[in-house]
Amino acid sequence: MKLLLRVVEKIRPHFEEGGKFHAFLPVYDAIEHFLFAPGTITTTAPHVRDPIDLKRFMSMVIVALLPCVATGIYFFGLRFIALIVVSYAAGLSVEALFSIVRKEPINEGFFVTGFLFPLIMPPAVPLWMVALGVAFGVVIGKELFGGTGRNLFNPALVGRCFLALAYPVQMSGSWLKPGAGVAGRLLQYVDGSNVDAVTSATPLALAKGGEYVSLSHMFVGSVSGSVGETSALAILAGGMFLLLTRVANWRTVASILISFTALAAMLHHAQPDRFGPALWHLCAGGLLFGAFFMATDPVTGPITSGGKWLYGALIGVVTVLIRNFTGYVEGVTFAILLGNIFAPILDEMVFALRLRRLKVEG
Amino acid sequence: MKLRGGYNIFLQGRPGSTIKAMPEPKTLYLPLSSKRFRFSAIHVADGQDVALGDVLATDPNNYDVPLLAPRAGSVRLGQVEDTVVLENIAKSQEYADTNGRMEEVQHVERTFGAAGAQRRRLMMLGAWQFLHEAHSGRLPDPLGTPQAVLVSTLSLEPFTARGDVQLQARLLNFTRGLEHLQSLLEYQPIYFVLPDIKSEFASIVRNHIRGYASVKMVELPLTYPYDDFAVLARSLGLSSGNGPVWALRTEGVLAVDRALTAGKPCVTRIISIGGTGVVSPGHLRVVSGYPLKCITDKHVFEPHPRIINGGIMTGEAFGPGALGIDTECRGITVLPELQEREFLGFMRPGSERSSYWPCFLSSMVQRFAERLTTAMRGERRPCISCNACEEVCPAGISPHLIHKYLYRDLVEEAAAARVDLCVECGLCSYVCPSKIDLRAQFVEAKNGIAREKAEMLETKARQESTEEVNA
Ligand code: SF4
Ligand code: SF4
Repeated sequence: MKLLLRVVEKIRPHFEEGGKFHAFLPVYDAIEHFLFAPGTITTTAPHVRDPIDLKRFMSMVIVALLPCVATGIYFFGLRFIALIVVSYAAGLSVEALFSIVRKEPINEGFFVTGFLFPLIMPPAVPLWMVALGVAFGVVIGKELFGGTGRNLFNPALVGRCFLALAYPVQMSGSWLKPGAGVAGRLLQYVDGSNVDAVTSATPLALAKGGEYVSLSHMFVGSVSGSVGETSALAILAGGMFLLLTRVANWRTVASILISFTALAAMLHHAQPDRFGPALWHLCAGGLLFGAFFMATDPVTGPITSGGKWLYGALIGVVTVLIRNFTGYVEGVTFAILLGNIFAPILDEMVFALRLRRLKVEG
Repeated sequence: MKLRGGYNIFLQGRPGSTIKAMPEPKTLYLPLSSKRFRFSAIHVADGQDVALGDVLATDPNNYDVPLLAPRAGSVRLGQVEDTVVLENIAKSQEYADTNGRMEEVQHVERTFGAAGAQRRRLMMLGAWQFLHEAHSGRLPDPLGTPQAVLVSTLSLEPFTARGDVQLQARLLNFTRGLEHLQSLLEYQPIYFVLPDIKSEFASIVRNHIRGYASVKMVELPLTYPYDDFAVLARSLGLSSGNGPVWALRTEGVLAVDRALTAGKPCVTRIISIGGTGVVSPGHLRVVSGYPLKCITDKHVFEPHPRIINGGIMTGEAFGPGALGIDTECRGITVLPELQEREFLGFMRPGSERSSYWPCFLSSMVQRFAERLTTAMRGERRPCISCNACEEVCPAGISPHLIHKYLYRDLVEEAAAARVDLCVECGLCSYVCPSKIDLRAQFVEAKNGIAREKAEMLETKARQESTEEVNA
C-alpha cells in the first residue's frame, strides 16, 4: 500500500495547479480519495472530528441495497448487472463533466443515485434508456440546482419520471415474469427480445382489473415489477439496516407507512370490491422501496422532525389517491417528487414556529 | 431543568486525579492577552524589580482587572512581543506590601459597604478574574448585582482541569469560599452543580454547607457541554433579561477563599495536561507565566504534536510565539498531527472508531476511548441536511439553517435564527458528515454582529451629542 500511495502522490502534481491535466483534478481527486483517506487536518476548534464522512454515509445506503440487488438478480436475471454498469457509466460521465466545468469535487451522492436508478427500472428496459434516464435525472434533477446537497428533487426519481412520461410504451412493455424454480433466473440473461418472459401484467395493473396476486408472492418478490421493488422481504431487511445506522430517519418511514396503511384500510373498508386490502397495497409496487430508500434521502426531504411527519403523511396519502383514483397504476414516484416540492415549505413552517419560540429565550 | 443535545466524546489521555507541583521556574513569560483579557495598560517599567502580587498591567476594558506578578523578580518589557518577562525569580515568596492599596479598599468600603470592599479585594488579589458572566462569558461588573450565582464543579470538555480533583483536595477551603461568596450577596441564590447529588461525596459536601440557606444543590448529567455556564443558566431558567448571572468553577471558589480568608494574591493555577500525545496525563500546579517549554519537554512524547491551550473542542493551538501559560489557561491538550493516510479507510468495518453515528462496527461494542489525531477524517462537502448538528446542539438552535444563511451572507436572518445563543461548544462541527466548520463560522458571525451593534450604538451616541451641541 505504501507503494501505491507513493505512486498516487507522484502523479498528483500533474493534476494540480499548473499541471498538464489540471482540468481533470476532480476526477483524479475522487479516485485518490477513494483509495486513500485525505490527509487534511483540522485548522480550527474542535481539533478532532467524528470518523463519519459522506463516503461512509453513502456506503451505508449501498450496503442496505444489497438484499434488493440479490433478489433482483435472482428473479430477473444477470442482465440487471448490465443495468447497473450502464447506469454508473452514464451517470458518472455526466457527474464528472459537471465537476470539471464547475471545478468542484465529485460528490459521493452519485454513487447512491447510480445504484438506486437501475433498481427502479423495469428489468427488460433497453440499456440506452437507462443511460438516458440517469443522465437526465442527474442533470435536471441535481446538477442544475448546484449538485448534491442543493438539489430539490431526488435525481433517480426525476430520471424515472422522465422515462415514464417520454417513453410510456417501452417502459410498460419491459416487465418480466419472475424466474420460476429454485435457481430463479440466476444464470439467465433476459432482455426485451425474449417474448415469453415479457409481460405487461404487474400486480398493480392486474388489480385494476380486480385480480389480486397472492400476498406471499409479493412478500418474497416473485412477481413482476421494477427490479428492486418486488421483494418486500429484501426491502425490509435493507431498510431496517438503514434505520439502525440512522442514515434513514425512522420518522419519514413510519409516517409514510402509517398514513398509507390507514387511508388504504379506510378505502377498503368502505368499498371492499373496489379497493384492495391495505396490507396487499403496502407490499405492491414501489411503496416500500420508496418509503425506505427514496423518501428518506436527507437532501430532498425536510430536515425538521415535524416536517418529516408531514412529508411522510403527504407521500402516503397521495400515493393511495393516485393508485386508486387515477389512470396511473403506480403513484409512489409522483408522490415523492411532490413531497420534494413541499419539503422546503414544510421546513419553513417548522422553522417559523421555532424562531418564534427562540425569540423569547436566553 | 431542561437540557438539550450534548454528546460525550471519549478519547485517550484523560487527566488522572493527581496534582503535581512543577519546579520553580527561572523565568516567567506572562502573555498580555488571553481569551477574555487584553492587559494593555502597563504599570511597570523595563528593569524594574517587582514583588509577588504587584500589579504588572491592567485591562482598562474589563474593570481594570490586574495582571499580578506571580513571583518577585525583575521586569523585562519589549523582549518578547505581547509578553511581560520576569527574570531573576526570587526563591522567597513574600507578598507585596498591599497597605497602599488597602487604603483604597477602605475608601470603597465607605462608599459601597462591606460587600463592595470585599469585591474590590477580590479584584486586587486576582480572584475576580475567575468569575464569568454566564450568558455572555465576559467578566462581570464587580459592583453589579447578580440575579444568581452558579458554582460548577464539573469540567466536561476533554481535557480541561477537572473540578472534582481540585474539590476533593481542598474541600474545607471550598466550603469556606462558598461562605464568602454568600456574604457578597444579599439574598440571591447560589446554585451548586454536582454530577451526582446522591453520592457519598455529595453528602459530605452537603454536611459542610448545611448552614448556607441560599446554596441550592443541582444535579447535572455528565454530558458535554452541560457544564457550559450559558447552557446551565438557561436550563435553570435564569434569563439574561433579569440581570447578570455570576458563574465560577471550583478553582474560582478556591481563589475567593484564598483572597478573602488569607488575603493572599491568587497567582497559582491548577491546569491539566492531557490528550493522546501525553506521557502521563494529570494535573499540574503552576503559576501564570510558567514557561510552556518546561511543561512540554517533560510530558509530550509525540514527534509532531499540536499543543492546544484549553480543551479539544474549544481550545486554540498555541502559536509559535507562545512561551508561557496565560492567566486563564485551564489545561493543555496535546494531539498528534495526522501523519498517515489510510487505504480504503471508509470501507473498514470500524470497530476501533467511536462515532456519533451508528455506522461503524464500534456501535455494537461498549463505548471506548479512541486514540484521536487532528485528522479531518473526510472531505468538505455541501450540507446534506442530516440534522445531526441540530440533534447535538445544546443551545437549541439549528446550526444547518444558520450555516445556510451565512453561506448566502444573510447575516440578519442568521441573527434572527439566534446565532447569538450558540455557546461555541463545537459539537456541531464534530458530528457533521460534510465536515463543515460550523463553529468557526458562528464565532465569526457572532463577533461581526456584536461589532456592528457596538458601532451602531456609537454612531447613535455621536449623533445625539452633536444634536445637543447644535441645540
Ligand atoms: S451551534 Fe454553537 S452551541 Fe450549537 S452545537 Fe454548534 S457550537 Fe455548539
Ligand atoms: S451536520 Fe452538517 S451535513 Fe448534517 S445538517 Fe448539519 S451542517 Fe448539514
